[in-house]
Amino acid sequence: MKKSQRFAAIAVATTASLSLAACGFSESGGSGGDAEGGSTSLNLLVPSYSDATQSLWEEVIEGFESENPDISVNLEVQSWDNLESVLATKIQGGQAPDIYNGGPFAGFAADDLLYPAQDVVSPETFSDFQESFIANAEVDGTAYALPLIASARALFVNNELLEQAGVDAAPTTWDELLDAATKISGLGGGIAGYGMPLGSEEAQAEAAIWLWGGGGTFGDAEKITVDDPSNLPGAEQIKKMIDAGATQADPGSTDRSPLMDIFVQGKIGMQVGLPPTVGQIAEGNPDLDYSIVPIPTRDGSPFTLGVMDQLMAFKNGGDKQEAITKFLDYYYSADVYVPWVQAEGFLPTTKSGAEQLSGEASLKPFLDVLPGAKFYPSTNPAWSATNGAFKSLFGQIQSKPAAEVLAEIQAQADAG
Amino acid sequence: MITTTDTPSVPGAGAAQRRPRPGGDLRSVEKPRSGARDLLAALPWISPALLLIVGVVMFPAAVMFYNSTRDISVSGIDKGSVGFANYAEVFAFPHFWPIFLRTIVWVVVVVVAAVLISLALAQLLNKAFPGRRIVRLAVIIPWAASVVMTTLVFYYGLEPYFGIINKTLVDIGLITTPEGYGWTRNPPTAFAWSIVVAVFVSLPFTTYTILAGLQMVPGEVLEAAKMDGAGPARTYVSVVLPHLRGAVAVAVLINIINVFNSLPILKVMTGSIPGYDADTIMTMIFKYIQVQQKIDVASALSVVSFLIVIVIVAVYVRVVKPMKEV
Repeated sequence: MKKSQRFAAIAVATTASLSLAACGFSESGGSGGDAEGGSTSLNLLVPSYSDATQSLWEEVIEGFESENPDISVNLEVQSWDNLESVLATKIQGGQAPDIYNGGPFAGFAADDLLYPAQDVVSPETFSDFQESFIANAEVDGTAYALPLIASARALFVNNELLEQAGVDAAPTTWDELLDAATKISGLGGGIAGYGMPLGSEEAQAEAAIWLWGGGGTFGDAEKITVDDPSNLPGAEQIKKMIDAGATQADPGSTDRSPLMDIFVQGKIGMQVGLPPTVGQIAEGNPDLDYSIVPIPTRDGSPFTLGVMDQLMAFKNGGDKQEAITKFLDYYYSADVYVPWVQAEGFLPTTKSGAEQLSGEASLKPFLDVLPGAKFYPSTNPAWSATNGAFKSLFGQIQSKPAAEVLAEIQAQADAG
Repeated sequence: MITTTDTPSVPGAGAAQRRPRPGGDLRSVEKPRSGARDLLAALPWISPALLLIVGVVMFPAAVMFYNSTRDISVSGIDKGSVGFANYAEVFAFPHFWPIFLRTIVWVVVVVVAAVLISLALAQLLNKAFPGRRIVRLAVIIPWAASVVMTTLVFYYGLEPYFGIINKTLVDIGLITTPEGYGWTRNPPTAFAWSIVVAVFVSLPFTTYTILAGLQMVPGEVLEAAKMDGAGPARTYVSVVLPHLRGAVAVAVLINIINVFNSLPILKVMTGSIPGYDADTIMTMIFKYIQVQQKIDVASALSVVSFLIVIVIVAVYVRVVKPMKEV
C-alpha cells in the first residue's frame, strides 16, 4: 500500500514538473523582452546562405554585444526550405522574431506587423542604400524592409565543351543558345547543352529568366500577371529547348543546386549561375575552364534577374525599437557589412559597400549587369503565393501546354 | 488423456471466478460500490496518463479542428471564422481524388508487402543458424537509422550522373542513356521507389513483432502437428499462422497508421516533382503549409486525413476481427 502511494506521488510530481517544464520552455523561446537586470534581448531569425552563415552572424553579434553590453542578441539560423514556415509558426504563436532576414515581406506589412524601415535605422544608414533597392522594398511609398544583399545572374559557360562542339562564341540570343546547346548535347556521353533547373527548389528564377527574357513580366505591386500573352514566347522557347534535347533529362523536376554541381563537374555546357557559383567552382573543380557572360535573351538585349533579400523588423509590442536600431546601424556600418557580404559572395546594397567592392574581379561580371536587373514583384502581397505556385507547378511545362501551366499558376496565385 | 476428463470442471470454475480472490464472501460485500467511486479511487493512478493524453493528443487535435474553420493569413494571423469553407476548398481541389486513391494504394501496397516479407524474414530468424544474432541485428539497422537518412541514401543512389544505383544499371547495360534515368524525376518511378523505401523501413518493426509472435507458438503444438503427419506447409498455415494472429494484427494496425502518416520518404523522393502526380494526402498537407502557406486549409485536410485513418482502422478491425481469440 505504502509503496503504491509513493508511486502515485512520484507520478504526479513527474507530470507536474513535465508540464511546468513545458511552460518554461515556451517562455524562454519567446521574445524575452526585458530579461535579466533591465537588459534587452533581440531575437534574430536568418536563413542559411552557406555553411559559414552562422559563424558570420555570430561574429557580428559578438562585436555588437561588446559595444552594447545591455543588449543581447539570440541567433536562430534556419534553412531556406523551412524559414517561412518557421516564421509563420512563430507569428501565429505571438513570438515573431525582432529582426528577420528573408524574401517576400509585403504580406507582413499588410498585416501591420513591421516597422517602417526609416524607424529602425538612423537617417545616415538609410540614405546609404542604393535608391533602386529601397524602391524595391516599398509598399505604397513606405519602405518596410532594409535591402540586405543583392545577387544578379549570368550565364556560366564551359569553354571546353563549347570548343569541342564547334561553337565559336558564347550565345547572346535564344536562337544562338538553342543552336549551341543542341550541338553540345550532341557530343554524347551524358553531356547536356543547357542546364535547366525547373524543379521545386527555385523554379521561379529559371522561369523569370526565360519569360522576362522574352519580354514578359510577372506583374507589379498591384497585380500579378503570369497568365499573360507576353509570357508565352519565353514559355514556348523553354519547350523548344526541351523538345530539341538541348537540356539535361527531366528539366521539370531537376533542382538547381544539384544541377549546378553537375556543371561544376564539367558535364553541362551552359547554366545560369549566381555570384557564389564562382566560389563553388573554385572549391569543387578549380581546373574548370569557364567564362561568365550575360544571359541570352530573345533579341540579345542585356538583362538579368536581380534578387534582393531584406532585413525586416517586427513590432512585437513596440518596446524594442531602440535596440533594433542600434543593432541595424552597427550591422550596416561598412566595416561590419562589407566583409559579411563578401564572405557570403553576394553583392552589397549600400553605396559605401559598392564603392569598396568595385575592384573585385570575380564580382565584376555581375556588377556590370546589375543596372539592367529586373526584380520579382515582391512588394505585391500575392507574391508569396505566386512564388509557391511557380515552385510547385512550373516544371509541368515539360509535359503540358505552356499556356495551361501559366493559367494554373495564375489561378493559384489569385487564390492565395 | 487424463486432462480431458478434468477439463469440464476446470473451465466452469475459471469462468465463475477468474482471478483468485482472498475469501469469496467478500465479493458480495464489495458489490454495491458504484462505478463512479471505483473511478475516483483509480484517479490518482490514471491521472498522469490522462493528463498526457489530454495535453498531447486531445488538445492539439482540438486546435487543429479549430484552425480548420478559421481564415488564417499567410503570415499566420487569424482573421475570423469561415465555417467549413476550407473543407470545401479541400474537396473542390481537382487533384484531391487522385491523391486520395494514391494514398490508399500507398498504404495497402506498403503494409501488405511489409507484412508478407516480414513473415518470411521472421520465419528465417526464428530458425537457429550460425550468425543468427548478427543477422537479427542487421535487420534492426533500418529501424535505428533516421528515415530521412535512409531515404536520402536511396535518393542519391538514384540520382542521374552520380547515383550508384543508376551507375550500376548503366554499367550492366539496363539503361542506355549514359547519365542514367531520372527515377526520382518522374512521378510513377519516384512513387514506386518511395514504396520500396517505405517497405524497407517498415520491415524491422514488423519482423520483430512477428518474431515475438513466433516465439509464443508452443513447441508441443508443433510437435503434435508433426506427429499427426502435417507437412511444413500445412503446419504453417493451420498451426503457426493462427497463433500469429495477435502479432500480425498489431503489426498491421500500427503499420497502417504509420505508413498513412509518413511524410519524410515521399517528401524526399518526390519533392522536386512539379504538379500533384506523386502526392499523397500527407505531402499535400505539407504543400498547403509550405508552398501555399494556407495553414487553415492544411488543418482542414489534416482533419479529413484523421477521419480517413479512423475509417480504415475501423474497417480493418471490423472485417478482420484481429482481436478475436484463436
